[in-house]
Amino acid sequence: MKNTLTCREAARLLLQDEDHELPIADRLALQVHVKICFACQRFVSQLNLMRRATRAWRKHAETGDDEGLAG
Amino acid sequence: MTDFALQVECLRPHLMRFARAQLRNDAWAEDAVSECLLAALERPQAFAGQSQLKTWLIGILKHKLVDQLRRNTREATVLVGEDGEDIFDDFFQPDGHWREAPRDWGDPDAACSQKEFFEVLQACCEHLPPTQARVFMMREWLELESDEICRELAISSANLWVLLHRARLRLRDCLQLRWFDGQRVPA
Repeated sequence: MKNTLTCREAARLLLQDEDHELPIADRLALQVHVKICFACQRFVSQLNLMRRATRAWRKHAETGDDEGLAG
Repeated sequence: MTDFALQVECLRPHLMRFARAQLRNDAWAEDAVSECLLAALERPQAFAGQSQLKTWLIGILKHKLVDQLRRNTREATVLVGEDGEDIFDDFFQPDGHWREAPRDWGDPDAACSQKEFFEVLQACCEHLPPTQARVFMMREWLELESDEICRELAISSANLWVLLHRARLRLRDCLQLRWFDGQRVPA
């Protein structure tokens, strides 16, 4: 078994993780990579921010007020 | 017009905005909203005041939006992912390292508390190529699971991944360029 991912492979898995659950082996390999890779840690933070912002935006569009945006 | 019908009708502009953002086509949006209002008026007892009227209507509208997408975009879902180009090549060197390491976007609270940030996010979504925008919005706005999107648009999951990965990477680039590059992110 290959025990290290490249950043490219890690990024692909992180993107996949946004839309469907990863197999356990991929999840573990990803955890190991992200722990030691500063660049991919930032990518994770960026994806988190995008996810959160998209949700807030949707809430805002659904309710039509600005409250969703602050939370 | 009954009181209920009046209340429902008052929310039409709100529903139209939501439908337009998703479909990017006024005629389809009109149809979806009309079908939504009709369904609501036919079954007022289903509302029963268990939630906000607006929330209930948005729930119905989401189903009507999926119907419109299924009807109108099935053939139009061009599989841009099949042209052999790998978008990861744009971001990674052949050895798998980032060409340019992702930047620090700072405190998410800082971005998410600013109205202007959401205007940029919306503009960035509008700039996505149509097919990517469509699947991204189906996922994020209509909250469909991946396999539902594949079924509605008759595409394979491999194709869906390609479209969604592209959409998210492009969105990230756009936010970097149009928002974060202009911000002073504290280290």
